[in-house]
Amino acid sequence: MKLKLFLSSLLFSVLLSCNTLKTAVYDQYSYQQTISLKVESEALIEHATDNFSNHEVEVNDLVLELKKLVEYEKNKPNNEITYAMIKLMADQDKNLLAGFLKRWENEQQLSQVFTNEAKAQIMEAFDLIIKYEANKNKENKQSILDYLGN
Amino acid sequence: MDFEELLKQIKDELLKVLGESYADYKNESKKDVEAFLEASKDKLERWTKLLANTELTVKDYEWLLKSQKDILVLKALYQAGITKQRLGHLKNKIIDTIVNVVVGAIF
Repeated sequence: MKLKLFLSSLLFSVLLSCNTLKTAVYDQYSYQQTISLKVESEALIEHATDNFSNHEVEVNDLVLELKKLVEYEKNKPNNEITYAMIKLMADQDKNLLAGFLKRWENEQQLSQVFTNEAKAQIMEAFDLIIKYEANKNKENKQSILDYLGN
Repeated sequence: MDFEELLKQIKDELLKVLGESYADYKNESKKDVEAFLEASKDKLERWTKLLANTELTVKDYEWLLKSQKDILVLKALYQAGITKQRLGHLKNKIIDTIVNVVVGAIF
């Protein structure tokens, strides 16, 4: 009887902790959109040695796309990690994509060496977000396999 | 320029500054400083050389260092997310096992 009570209590505590361990499922739209943003960002950053005013429209379009993705990630349940990651990219006060575009606007023109180094940093940041989303797909497959195994 | 010596100077200075501000967290500060410098060593060396050759300005250098800090935050988030996913799987296994044992014991 004690064993039953113990196991029931254990099951109850594990079930209670479920919500904190939930992770949003793999999302094809998030994956594609992040890759698309990465490619567009790379192409635009390469122009940061030109005058900002020549690319203002493209920069505004890219920032808008980034903001849309932030909002999309914000409203998905159990998606705190991806939301925090993409929010860093979109924060003008941080030193990733939005921060780089803000600096370009403030300085009007950036040096080739700085642009190359900053681009490598921003691409690395995008790769981490893409890798994290792709990993959710791997985990989803594992969940299905676990389920089918039962 | 001896980069290893410069790196040592940076580490000593950081530990001194952090030690003054966060005396209660001296060991944690030391680990954080060492982890940051180790993860950023190659980039720091390249950027420092570019700064010394005046190919980067001080503002460029500072911007890049801050971007490295932001990337380390992203890496920490990534790692936390992966751990959470693994724990989620472990939780499913625990639930399955408990349910099987409880059902077996009761019925």
